[in-house]
Amino acid sequence: MPEQRVLLEHADDPALRTIDGYKRLAGGYATMERAYRELEQDEVLSELEDSGLRGRGGAGFSMGKKASFLPRGEMAKYLCCNADESEPGAFKDRELMQRNPHQLIEGIAIAALAADAGHAFIFIRGEYAEQADILDAAVAAAYEAGYLGENILGTHRDLELVVHRGAGAYICGEETALLDALEGKRGNPRLKPPFPAVQGLYGGPTLINNVETLANVPHIVRHGAEWFKGFGTEQSPGTKVVSVSGGVRRPGNYEVELGIPTRELIYDLAGGPEHGHEIKAFYPGGSSSPVLTAAEGLDLPYSFEAMAEAGSMLGSGSIIVADDRVSIPHMALRTARFYHHESCGKCAPCREGTNWTVKMLERVVRGEATPMDLDIISSVQENIMGHCLCVLGDSMAMPVSAMVRKFRDEFEQVIEDAGLDPHVVVQAPPETMGASA
Amino acid sequence: MSPVDGAGIDNPNLPVDPAVNEGRIPDRDPQGIPELHEVDCPPEMQERIEALMSRYPDRRSASIPALWAVQERYGWCTPEGIRQAAAVMRFTPAYLESVASFYDLLHTEPVGTHRIEVCTNISCWMRGGDGLLDAFEAAAAGEDDFYVTGFECLGACDIAPMASIDQRYYGPLEMAEAATAIAQLKAGEEVLPEKALDRRALAGDVPHPGEGADA
Amino acid sequence: MSGKEVTIVIDGREIVASEGEMLHDAARKGDVEIPVFCYEPKLGDPVGACRMCLVEIEGIPKLQTSCSTPVRDGMVVHTRTEQVKHAQSAVVEFLLVNHPLDCPVCDKGGECPLQDITQGWGPGKSRVIDEKRHFPKPVELSPLVAIDRERCILCYRCVRFSQEVTEDEQLQLLERGDRSFVGTFDERPYVAPFHGNITDICPVGALTNYTYRFRARPWDIEQAGSVCTLCPSQCNVSFTVRDEKVKRVITRDNHEVDDGWICDRGRYGFEMFDAEERVRGPHLRGDGAADWETAIGAAAAGLRAAGGKVAAIVGDASNEEGYLVQRLLRETLGSPHLDSRRSRGPAREQIVRLAQPELSAKVSDIDAADAILVLGTDPLHSSPILDLRVRKAIRRGGAKLGVATERPTALDGGAEAIARYAPGEASGFLVELTEALTEVGAPSSLGTSSKEGGTADAMGALPSSSAKRSEGAPTSVADTLQGAEKVVIVWGERITRERGAIEGLFEVAEALGLAEKDGSGLLEIPDATNARGLREAGCLPDAGPGLSEPNRSFYGSGPQKARLDGKGTEEIRAALESGELEALILFGVDPLRDFPDTPAWARALTAAKHVVTFSMFETLTTAASDVVFPLETHAEKDGTVTHPDGHLQRVRPAAGRPGEIRSNIQVLSELSAALGHDTGIDSQPSAFAALTEAIPFYSGITDADIGGRGIRWQDTPAAVRVPSASAGAPSSLGTSSKEGGTADAMGALPSSSAKRSEGAPALALGTYRDLWAGPITDLNPPLKFLRPSQRLEIAPSDAERLDLKSGEKVSVSQNGTAVEAEVQIKERVPEGVVFLAEGTAEGNANGLLNGGPVRVRIQKLSEVPA
Repeated sequence: MPEQRVLLEHADDPALRTIDGYKRLAGGYATMERAYRELEQDEVLSELEDSGLRGRGGAGFSMGKKASFLPRGEMAKYLCCNADESEPGAFKDRELMQRNPHQLIEGIAIAALAADAGHAFIFIRGEYAEQADILDAAVAAAYEAGYLGENILGTHRDLELVVHRGAGAYICGEETALLDALEGKRGNPRLKPPFPAVQGLYGGPTLINNVETLANVPHIVRHGAEWFKGFGTEQSPGTKVVSVSGGVRRPGNYEVELGIPTRELIYDLAGGPEHGHEIKAFYPGGSSSPVLTAAEGLDLPYSFEAMAEAGSMLGSGSIIVADDRVSIPHMALRTARFYHHESCGKCAPCREGTNWTVKMLERVVRGEATPMDLDIISSVQENIMGHCLCVLGDSMAMPVSAMVRKFRDEFEQVIEDAGLDPHVVVQAPPETMGASA
Repeated sequence: MSPVDGAGIDNPNLPVDPAVNEGRIPDRDPQGIPELHEVDCPPEMQERIEALMSRYPDRRSASIPALWAVQERYGWCTPEGIRQAAAVMRFTPAYLESVASFYDLLHTEPVGTHRIEVCTNISCWMRGGDGLLDAFEAAAAGEDDFYVTGFECLGACDIAPMASIDQRYYGPLEMAEAATAIAQLKAGEEVLPEKALDRRALAGDVPHPGEGADA
Repeated sequence: MSGKEVTIVIDGREIVASEGEMLHDAARKGDVEIPVFCYEPKLGDPVGACRMCLVEIEGIPKLQTSCSTPVRDGMVVHTRTEQVKHAQSAVVEFLLVNHPLDCPVCDKGGECPLQDITQGWGPGKSRVIDEKRHFPKPVELSPLVAIDRERCILCYRCVRFSQEVTEDEQLQLLERGDRSFVGTFDERPYVAPFHGNITDICPVGALTNYTYRFRARPWDIEQAGSVCTLCPSQCNVSFTVRDEKVKRVITRDNHEVDDGWICDRGRYGFEMFDAEERVRGPHLRGDGAADWETAIGAAAAGLRAAGGKVAAIVGDASNEEGYLVQRLLRETLGSPHLDSRRSRGPAREQIVRLAQPELSAKVSDIDAADAILVLGTDPLHSSPILDLRVRKAIRRGGAKLGVATERPTALDGGAEAIARYAPGEASGFLVELTEALTEVGAPSSLGTSSKEGGTADAMGALPSSSAKRSEGAPTSVADTLQGAEKVVIVWGERITRERGAIEGLFEVAEALGLAEKDGSGLLEIPDATNARGLREAGCLPDAGPGLSEPNRSFYGSGPQKARLDGKGTEEIRAALESGELEALILFGVDPLRDFPDTPAWARALTAAKHVVTFSMFETLTTAASDVVFPLETHAEKDGTVTHPDGHLQRVRPAAGRPGEIRSNIQVLSELSAALGHDTGIDSQPSAFAALTEAIPFYSGITDADIGGRGIRWQDTPAAVRVPSASAGAPSSLGTSSKEGGTADAMGALPSSSAKRSEGAPALALGTYRDLWAGPITDLNPPLKFLRPSQRLEIAPSDAERLDLKSGEKVSVSQNGTAVEAEVQIKERVPEGVVFLAEGTAEGNANGLLNGGPVRVRIQKLSEVPA
């Protein structure tokens, strides 16, 4: 099956970045004009809910349903676009913002109508400076053209849109941490409940959606929920921009119908493994998803439900392929290091659990460990899961425990190969020690 | 851990901290919210921060943008720069330093003007990111103007192994290109034009690697 | 919390809880203990960060933090299932992964929640063989508190305290993840008046007091509860005593009084109990130490010789002591001249009106107030714990704050409306406020005082952090107060030094209808700790015990003919100077440091023939006295004090009395006996019994009633016996009757305008009592670094006009007296006004005050002729 470009249609044309180009190539802003002039808030909401659009940022929750949780009333409501894409393996939002910024702006405007929000923010990770520049220019153009600001298109609706650059923290992709960061604080997650829909930004009702989710909104409102359901599967309707990377010949973003056989994604679209190598395992949903062996996963349909049933998850839709050259213990360490670095430190299980897991994996990789240490590592992952304030702890625990479980032999081999006497007292390497000097 | 020298007056066995009998005197002043006349904030920076504050319903949201402004002005978030931003925003410098130290891109220690962040996360690691980092570090060795660091996933796994050089993405990079890039930066030339991200086409539009296309 | 009751089931048992209460608190009521680290209700909303309190709630698959889950009717909770135990053990294990094995050398050992919880819920054996995280340790967080970052379990209590309770925001978290640590900006010291509280709330030994390091283990010590009497906050404290010496002071958590906090003065101000300057036994002028008999004999002889021309001023005294002093003076010595204030004050009628229960607010009323007015005082300096209370009301209770003071206060940042009036113009402000409140609907342009010099303008409130308020929309103080259901006015006794101020306050109270509103009223912040108790015990020139009208009967059968025209403090001073009075008893006061117009007091003390001083420490005043007697501190005293809101509290002895110090009650008794009148009172119980008999509205209150938490006399049946306020409204101009010697007479003071000196521009002088200016800071070595030097606070525009820079030394002079000060430019100081601190050891502003508003001349020190 080839790509199914909806969000990425015309994305190769640089003119798409301008309002004129967006209008000419994609009929842009026509849907927004119709929505603002003719549609009611409830109409837009029900269209989104009927479409079955599931959040594209990782959680996979029904977007329309989430938007309907916002209370009605005179209070200030907010819409946040989560453009903090920092999940290893994910780079689809980058592509969308870079090539078609107005699609996102239009999606935000229509979603703001659904949420009755008067103030919207795009929280874009600070590393995406080029994309943020592009968004800045597009937002300015949209203001000038009257699609943002006060009394939009004469409809007496106001919408302020602020492009807010982050400063480098993966945790800010977690929606409540994003709110704290947007409020100017350290990016620590909050307790849920209360949920952001009720008590979010500045304590007011807030709708938070991923870039890709919002990019779908103009298309759904334009063509209707039924059209959208025509793509994908029953539980996973629509198209998905999938980032494929790692040991493949043509890494990149591919927009496909959900439910496409994973093998087709990896082999036909991304070119399959490098010549002469086989696929050993892959992360189906970014580094937070439990790895699937080639045997387990390649023949599954690429959808939310199939991945969940297999004991993993679709997540943000990012496939990282590990071929036979990759040492799984090293990959586990690399994965754990990421979460250790990004842990915000607020809750003990994640903060100390990531720290401890990295220390243990480093010893394993150096060979200064025993098979019992592998049991302890697995036990520690169990201790982390379900006990943390947010999902970052689980995001490390799930892939690491899957790797230790499914590739136990490889771990034990690494330990044995180093040939060290495990009774020697070990010394930890300096990287895992404490604060900056 | 040895007890503090000097015993109590009444019980010779009880060690007593000098705080009790003499008082400890701090060698620096505490820092509350500085007043504008106490700091020397450049007027353009003050204007910029005030403009940033006005974009949000709550001025605290402008903390990170204000810190970006300080970093752009001074090269990193200097204590003095933080004090200036704090005076304009009416927060304590401690608060702003706390925010700055949380995030990877805001530096609370001096760093070189050219920033090179080499991704060492999973996909890039698989394709030689570690070696690339070594190459950059070697090429920039001894140069104070350059700040080279490994970094977590930059969201450009399609061009792995890659680096962000002065906030622009470049990849896939070969080891030798590290030295080239450094040289170009020093000479003020355009950096690795063919490897810049914004020049790349969509993956699906790049010719499909057919069987036997690469041996 | 709605107050509605709900039933929940915990571990199979039914427990009744309040709706909306947190599950952890409800469980505790039912005797089910759920371990916590980061949960501390005093700090506000729960954060759910440590994950220690996870429990299983039926119907929810994931374990929930009980600290942040409100109860619902019918909730079924399990706290001891395998799943929960496994989670608890896991969390403890995680906390110990990087926690150092410091127990043998850690001060917290033995009173450490981490030890206790590990014992109760931890895994029992460590699986960690990797090296733990390191930090340099311990490091000076402040000169009083050491921080050991390796021990820190990052529960955030201290950071939340700094951000949400004291709002100084100096203490923060730095870095991220397991590299996080608690610190300050640029490693500066954390200096703030409440920072010692972080050592109380820290659940591990990360934050320790330098004053208590290695001094004792919990099994060496005894805890003894008492009340701190270093300021009118009267916080409930607990002394940690070893070998009869106080080693540490911690909070005793009284929600009605201190909300579980104490300020650093109370916390670290105990070394002075043993200071060299402590008066350890009686002594005579010049002769050095004397034994008790001789001293009492000398004092009695001198007082007798004065033949009734004797006065007394009481300050730092318990109710019993104050009661006995006034009996000594009136019954034994037959003199009506005594006072318990530092300067002028209201007349008896007005004090009676203030004492009416409907008009008085209690401290906890602040929590529920809709509007609060802080008038004429900066709580941070005058009653620190109230500063925290007001902040809490604004932050958690949604209260609106109006501030009306001469000098910028620490609460300005959270105020909705600020009014600055010129020094000495509080009465003018109150008149305008009353006008604004009685004008229906008209927005007032309040706060513009047209009096000379001091420009007071209704400054727009500084933008606050709250997102909902639109910035830059100033409201006047009247707007803030109007229409609020519950209004509390926190006012400083100092304003009553002005004539008309107390009347103005009553007018405002009437305009707001405070007496009719629930949970509303006036809350005074007096100058002295037990000011209210002393007044109610009768230490006033025109009132007897129970605020009774002076009449001949309570002079008993004393030798002298009773007189009714008692002089107040200022008149006493004038009379001593002129020779009309000859002898003086000073009980717990230091006029040469704390009373306005130091030169005049110096003259008065010199002129006096016989001065008997009761003092804790050697001061300038004791040096000028003929007989000096020691005083007990609040760690040694046995007695009661009355909180400004009417709570009777118990001060109990905790430590031994150094030297030859005797109980003050006993000494006063002996002195009275030596003068020929045996009161029969020589102990606290008998003194208290006599006190409650003499004060009608204290009658029936027993020691048991007061207990450890105090009791508000307004809440007892005896409250109805408070004298009723006179039917006629007090005159609006504050001319109180001369009869009985009111303390309100302005005296012959030169009008301010005549004092403007030629040439150099004169500025109005405002003064304030700095929290750290006083003997407590001087005599406690740990607090030495907080000793303030005299600072002249001046507005930037005035500084520019006079060509002054911050840090420059200047001479501030008025009518021939001058003090030296360091310039400190502050943005919010109103133009035309400068401020100096009272009570500093050098350059005391009291030297410049001569009773009314003054104008001062400022000269650079370098330009003052030698």
